[in-house]
Amino acid sequence: MAGKSGRAISAAPKDGLRSRILSWEGALVLIFLAVQIFGVSISPNYNFTNVLREMPKYLAEIFMLFGMACILILGDIDISVGSIVCLSATMACFAGNAGAPFPVVVLVCLGIGLLCGMVNGFLAIKLQELPTMIITLGTQIIFRGIAEVTLKSGGSVSMEDVAGLMQMGKKLGPFPLSLFFVVLTAVIFSVLLNRTVFGRELYAVGANKTAAYYAGIEVQKDRFICYSLLGGLAGVCGIFLLASLYGANTTTGSGFEMEVIAMCVFGGIATTGGKGNLTGAFIAAFVIVCIRIALGQRNINTQLILVIIGAMLIISVLLPTISNGLRAKKQKR
Amino acid sequence: MKKKLISVLVSAGMIAALLAGCGSSTPESSPASSGAAAAAEPAESADTAATDGAAETSGSGAAGHTYAIVTKAAGNPYMERMSSGFQGVIEAAGGTCIVQNPEAATADAQISVIQSLISQGVDSIAVAANDANALTAALTEAKDAGIQVLTLDSDVNAAARRTFCNQAGIQEVGQALIDAVYDLTGGKGQYAILSATSQATNQNAWIDAMKTIAENDDKYSGLELVEVAYGDDEPQKSTDQTQALLQNYPELKVICAPTTVGISAAAKVLQDQKSSVKLTGLGLPSEMAEYIGSDGAHSCPYMFLWNPIDLGKLAAYTSIALVDGTITGKAGDSFEAGDMENSPYTVTDMSDGTGTEIILGPPFRFDPDNIAEWAEVY
Amino acid sequence: MNKKSFWKKITDSRDASLVLVLIVLLAVIEILSPSFLSFNNVRQIFLNNALTLLMALGMLCVMLTGGIDISITSILAFAGMTVGLLQKYDVLHNTLLLFVIGAAIGLCCGMLNGIVIAKGKVAPIICTMGFMYIWRGMAYVISNNAWASGKDVSGFSDFGKDGAAGPYLILLAAYILFFIVMRWTRFGRRFYAVGSNKEAARISGINVARTIAAAYAVMGLLAGISGALSVSIYASAQPNMQYGKEMDVIAACVIGGISMNGGRGSVAGTFLGAMIIAIIAKALPLVGIDAITQNLVKGIIILAVVSLNVFTQRAINRQNLGRREI
Repeated sequence: MAGKSGRAISAAPKDGLRSRILSWEGALVLIFLAVQIFGVSISPNYNFTNVLREMPKYLAEIFMLFGMACILILGDIDISVGSIVCLSATMACFAGNAGAPFPVVVLVCLGIGLLCGMVNGFLAIKLQELPTMIITLGTQIIFRGIAEVTLKSGGSVSMEDVAGLMQMGKKLGPFPLSLFFVVLTAVIFSVLLNRTVFGRELYAVGANKTAAYYAGIEVQKDRFICYSLLGGLAGVCGIFLLASLYGANTTTGSGFEMEVIAMCVFGGIATTGGKGNLTGAFIAAFVIVCIRIALGQRNINTQLILVIIGAMLIISVLLPTISNGLRAKKQKR
Repeated sequence: MKKKLISVLVSAGMIAALLAGCGSSTPESSPASSGAAAAAEPAESADTAATDGAAETSGSGAAGHTYAIVTKAAGNPYMERMSSGFQGVIEAAGGTCIVQNPEAATADAQISVIQSLISQGVDSIAVAANDANALTAALTEAKDAGIQVLTLDSDVNAAARRTFCNQAGIQEVGQALIDAVYDLTGGKGQYAILSATSQATNQNAWIDAMKTIAENDDKYSGLELVEVAYGDDEPQKSTDQTQALLQNYPELKVICAPTTVGISAAAKVLQDQKSSVKLTGLGLPSEMAEYIGSDGAHSCPYMFLWNPIDLGKLAAYTSIALVDGTITGKAGDSFEAGDMENSPYTVTDMSDGTGTEIILGPPFRFDPDNIAEWAEVY
Repeated sequence: MNKKSFWKKITDSRDASLVLVLIVLLAVIEILSPSFLSFNNVRQIFLNNALTLLMALGMLCVMLTGGIDISITSILAFAGMTVGLLQKYDVLHNTLLLFVIGAAIGLCCGMLNGIVIAKGKVAPIICTMGFMYIWRGMAYVISNNAWASGKDVSGFSDFGKDGAAGPYLILLAAYILFFIVMRWTRFGRRFYAVGSNKEAARISGINVARTIAAAYAVMGLLAGISGALSVSIYASAQPNMQYGKEMDVIAACVIGGISMNGGRGSVAGTFLGAMIIAIIAKALPLVGIDAITQNLVKGIIILAVVSLNVFTQRAINRQNLGRREI
């Protein structure tokens, strides 16, 4: 729980149990529980097994959450990740169909993702004046463009030998394999962010880039590393997504960037940098996924689900202002 | 101090209220209640129980079963007509129908929807696939869960489904389109194709069929295909692409657009510019009524489509037959399809030999004589 | 006052360097596809990109205050869908009134954006991301899977028909108005003041929150008008219209030299940036690039042009520094 809480929703003292419960992360846990009750009450099929069974597609997205959290904490943004997923999954399929053994396919997928991330990072440090949103907008079009050109007029490729992918899509008991990898990644990144110099540097850079630079932090090196990490995680997403698709096409991964950013923001990470922690983002991701699953099982209009998620996002970011307003009113009295 | 809890309560409360608000809104269709799920979970919400009651009294073979249809995307009238045809048949037969429109026209979005339907324990899923390959894993999982999987409108890999309700044979569509091009060019000259996206399964199959037919028959030797352009089913891009075709190929005589968005965008460009280039292809009558006419003021003399409502109905009868075991999706199987024109329908082998399909009928021609009538229907 | 050489004048001004980029781009296209600059083509460029051109002006205001708005095409779809459905169900067929309704819807959506961002102190990208989902979803929900098509909007679409003057007049009026407002009115200059230095603006008596909210309201208004205009130009209203095109508008603004940190940017730059995006879209299918490669080329051109901007700016800075040392 180290790291600043993303969202100041109460004036409780900074230490002790009370502050933890009253923090945004504490609220998220309550919301998560509320969503479970809500799910069970609206859908007869909302149970442990079904939720876990529907989860793998979302879990693949959640891998990118950790990298995106680092980027946002730095005060940057990356909207090219959906395209990186598309490109790496496409290339993995071609590698597999060309007869590469499965471990090589996985490496291709991760490698392409890492490479794309490094391209983003390189551009971000060489063109510092440009907002990263514009740089990654450019690479977003370019990465997907490369995938389109590789896929030619068919626009779609299917993995011929799915034995390896089936292994990745396997379950241990009711738990999908990817869940363990997600938890593992979460632990690694949590340590990285909270217990290493590198992680603390990210917060410092996000809070004040210039001050961090004068304090001797290699700002550009950190940014490059974060973009590369996110690229690599997009590759991980690509391979796990393949495990539930068995193929890729030109629309694979479209819109993922916004979904991942939404999860981070709902979890309390500020896009202005320097604020928020992984715990919040991690719980928030599962809140959003569970809401989607529950409403999906109730056959709610899919577009209405997006409206609901949009509204939740706005309400959550408005909370600090609302609670400040309430507090100010109370003090006046 | 107590009031400091307010903030937490506000957050939880607001979201709970939000969710409750949407929970009470009526979903597009009745919730799931397959035989198995209903038995395992007797305590269902009141409206479901009502549906079940009604279904039991009707006593038909479909009663107590749940049939789902997954369209390509929300917000598309063609898909809406198709699913309404499906829903009508299922509900008349006493079954429960679930209509699911994915949030976007991607395979990713369809996966979520299919997974949700598996959770609901439906008896059959009919899906109009956004991608031939990328749904394989999800549909195989559905099959393994004992769900009858079929496709309609656009197919997936044959191994992942029982059978495919084909709106019209690929060869027939290709033949109709190339004949229309032949007719409109007068047998000789340049023509171009304006397609949807580069990975659109149907469009690619039809275009390939057109090319093959044109190559193998001397009758079409005077025709020259100059370009296949992709409008991505966006009006703006389709407009740009149509204008580019007109400019790059001054000798162009005909544009063939086998996609509903592309054809109406192209029709508008040609008609506004009063171009002599003629248009044909596949389009929705209600979208195209403005542009169909045989005189110079209209850009499209005639075009083709099938009845999407009938396609939905055929898929519904196929779903019912698959669930009650009348057919298994093997070639030669045959089943009654209510009051539909060509009933009974027979399952046949596909031309490439990979799986089976049920063909609705030949594509239907819309011309100035019948367009007004059909524009009211779909 | 020392006289500047012609070359220095060009490298001194970002707008001038953009004109240069535009000329080079046009020259290359003209070689690859002769008669690109025909009257007909130029007319179509404006018509097909009227929406981008129009919304770029709103984005200029938003970006001047240091914000960003990614909900614009969702607002466009919501307003456009409403306008389309009003005609489909024969509620209303008056062109002017329909445009007013579209604009009003846009204005309301924009004001909501502005209030949440300015009063709620929410990061602009997050707030507009939330509303992006909401308005797009609402467009789908009200459409109820129906489109408004050529037949439904037949009278309305005459306004934006290829050959009609309507869209050009709207564009011309909007650009002239913005040129004047952004340059010579207090309302326009406030955006620059707030974007350059919020604190200084506040101290000098500008209501910062209201100025920021106004920027989003203007943006919403233009998005709403664009929604009606889109229905008129394409004679069709679909809930997914212009999906993802907000990025084109943002790219146009950045190419046009508007700083995303606020405070810097001009109407002329916006126009040039939007024109570059428009010409790329128009030219790619014409110059004989394979259909499947077009997106890739578009991405590379955008990245190249914005990088060029950076290098020009660096050169300007170095030059200014050099001059100062002397």
